[in-house]
Amino acid sequence: MSDELLVVRCQLGEREAFAELVQGWHPAVERYVGRMLGGSDDDVVQEIWLAVLKGLPRLRQPDRFTPWLFTIARRAVLNRLRDAYARPEPEPIDDLPGDDEAEEVVNRETLADALAALPAREREVLLLFYLEDLPLDACAQICAVPVGTVKSRLNRARRLLRHEMVRKGYEA
Amino acid sequence: MTPEEVLARLDAPLSLRRRVGYLALTFTGLTASALIGLLWATEPGLPMRTNVAFAVLVVIGLCWAAFGGWAVTRRTPLFARDRVVAGWLGVGAWVAFSVGALIISLLRHDLEPALLGVVLLLGAVAALNLRAAHRARAALLRRRSVLAETAKGE
Repeated sequence: MSDELLVVRCQLGEREAFAELVQGWHPAVERYVGRMLGGSDDDVVQEIWLAVLKGLPRLRQPDRFTPWLFTIARRAVLNRLRDAYARPEPEPIDDLPGDDEAEEVVNRETLADALAALPAREREVLLLFYLEDLPLDACAQICAVPVGTVKSRLNRARRLLRHEMVRKGYEA
Repeated sequence: MTPEEVLARLDAPLSLRRRVGYLALTFTGLTASALIGLLWATEPGLPMRTNVAFAVLVVIGLCWAAFGGWAVTRRTPLFARDRVVAGWLGVGAWVAFSVGALIISLLRHDLEPALLGVVLLLGAVAALNLRAAHRARAALLRRRSVLAETAKGE
């Protein structure tokens, strides 16, 4: 069953549809929170689902549920990472996504291992783009930045990730 | 934490009975306050302590209404079905207020045009609110049918 149909059923007031939605998306939410915060945090996950439940009746575009969900999740994580996000963002990198050789070695497992060492902004876009397979425009919507900024963060994130993996002795 | 644990923790805001309870509390508080206020306003020459008693009763009713209103807007979501229930409860509250106001007016042998205007205005608001809730739910039901058909076809 599509997420849009589940969301519409939730908006109608079908409790079992919300249960299906939670069962379908809880692993992704938990994974996102765990990797952004460097460990699982049940309170944040609970806060996210409560906000989703309260916000569902006002969700105008049920087909855009995924970016909406991650926007809520990001907000909850942001509250916990306020200090990390308060640091100024480094200068953007001009090279295009895909040029970086680190892209070739990025896969879900190695990425997950090295993520913890990355700054919050870079970790976030990597999680959304690679681990959750969200398109660039959805990442931009979730992070509330232009698509170009997402690309720039992805570039920087890949570079940092490569350094981190080399530092840990990983050979491409 | 498992999905089942998440759902167990969200049991309170997910409870339809609780949401309807908050709505009923809101409308009961509003209706009671309005009728007591009407009695108070139309009773001439009351002693001070009776005035105070009326005021306290009105404030109590408004407090319950405010609590219910806060609960259904801040603590629990109102889904399409709940909005329809709220619409009918609103109509019920309007009927209760109208009947009460009519009885009070008949007892006083005095039907104020202003009161009639208020009753008609509240009735229009209740009817429009119920219609909007029905239309919003109907739109979602149509969308659900379309999506369900699409899902079957895939």
